[in-house]
Amino acid sequence: MPTVIFQLPDGTERKVTAASGTVLMQAAVAHAVEGIVAECGGNASCATCHVYVDATQADLVGPPNDVEDEMLDFTAAERRPTSRLSCQVQLSDALDGLVVHVPEEQV
Amino acid sequence: MSALTTAAPGAPVVDLDLADLRRDPYPAYAELRRTAPLAWVPSVGRHLLTRYDDIVHAEKLPEVFSSREEGSLLLRTVGPNMLREDDPQHRRLRAAAEPPTRPRQVRDLWAGAFERTAQELLDRIADRGEADLIHDFAEPLVAANLALVLGLRGASAEDIAAWSRAMMDGNSNYANDPDLWLRAEQATRAIEEAVAETAEAARREPDGSVISSMVNAPEPVTLAEIQNNIKVIIGGGVNEPRDVFGVGAWALLRRPEVLDRVSKDPALWKRVFEETARWVSPIGMYPRQLTQDYEVAGVTLPAGSRVALVIASGNRDESVFERADEFDIDRPHRPHLAFGGGPHFCMGAWVARHEVSAIAWPLVFSRLKGLRLVEGAKASDSGSAASRLEGWVFRGLTSLHVTWQAA
Repeated sequence: MPTVIFQLPDGTERKVTAASGTVLMQAAVAHAVEGIVAECGGNASCATCHVYVDATQADLVGPPNDVEDEMLDFTAAERRPTSRLSCQVQLSDALDGLVVHVPEEQV
Repeated sequence: MSALTTAAPGAPVVDLDLADLRRDPYPAYAELRRTAPLAWVPSVGRHLLTRYDDIVHAEKLPEVFSSREEGSLLLRTVGPNMLREDDPQHRRLRAAAEPPTRPRQVRDLWAGAFERTAQELLDRIADRGEADLIHDFAEPLVAANLALVLGLRGASAEDIAAWSRAMMDGNSNYANDPDLWLRAEQATRAIEEAVAETAEAARREPDGSVISSMVNAPEPVTLAEIQNNIKVIIGGGVNEPRDVFGVGAWALLRRPEVLDRVSKDPALWKRVFEETARWVSPIGMYPRQLTQDYEVAGVTLPAGSRVALVIASGNRDESVFERADEFDIDRPHRPHLAFGGGPHFCMGAWVARHEVSAIAWPLVFSRLKGLRLVEGAKASDSGSAASRLEGWVFRGLTSLHVTWQAA
């Protein structure tokens, strides 16, 4: 089962382990990771589950899909090259050890 | 599972007068949050769920808190529609309707026309020096914008506003007034005709509108489904942006120091929008029906129980929002519940944010110089004779009388 580290804006981190195939946002919400709001519940309609993938792993995670790409232009915190919506990232064993940074703002 | 129209065993019963709720529901909600966060309210015929955390929990469990409420007022007004469906049925309809309301489409396809309409409406009143900004500006603006986004070219802003009013009165007809049912039915027929015409044209020539998107969706949608869902969108699509506009403008006019800051730093309009939607949520509550026995707020609700998620109350929950009754654009960013949550997250959110916070407010406050409220002596945060807040299922200003220095 892959383990993901959420780096929070206050400098603390949360380590979450979830089954392969779990959506990153769902893993965060199931473990009440602060800062992953996910208002729309995973439909890429709200842009409130924004994360920055650690720069060293961006290639591993890959780029956003089309619908997500549009929504990322409208996030509360600035968009960066490593921005993803966590509801569009599916965990796999290949992503074990993934580090994502939670932005200051989601709304 | 048929709906239970009685209190769950062990649920506290609290009598609330609907007329009191319409005037100002917030004191009653504060009391419920404190003493009975899940309470059966006979006049509403539902359990009211009033704390933020419980509401968020329910929104994230659509398989337990189903949108398929039997006997729903909305079902009676418009027929089967996506707001009263669960996934996957809801998802199919939402996916068909949503693309024209996504933020990039709003910016690229609609924003220019939204701004032209706003300028024209202001041209008409600029020399008068006085207006009711709800009646003379906000309502015609959002109604015209809605006609455009939906693709209803043949419908005037007046048509859309009248249809919307008739349907919203039906959707909130908890008192079962027969006149309101009749008017809702007449509006329903008129919308069905207008949608049928538009759908025919959009099949031949797609135009980027919601109706066009539904007609040409990859997963087929029937005409009746399009008609019913357009009725729902017309219902909400006028009230909600109009009411955020009205309440936010009114809040700023009563707080000149905040207005001054926002005028100097237009990036703050976004904060005004989110805080206004939290402070006086245009949709105050919506119903759910339980698919199974489930414990919430210390009460085990049997399958079939009817629950109202009172998002207006969650948005004033002191455990989440300090000094929750105050309008404060500087409060720490916590997500409000005004757009709902989960799969039913408001489809019009991006349209409303843009038309209100990027267009309507900035234009009104920059063009109408020396804007002031016409207020009676007893003005307060629940309004005055000239600008009165009303409603609990839907809440907003019924009018907003202002004056300014005409050019």
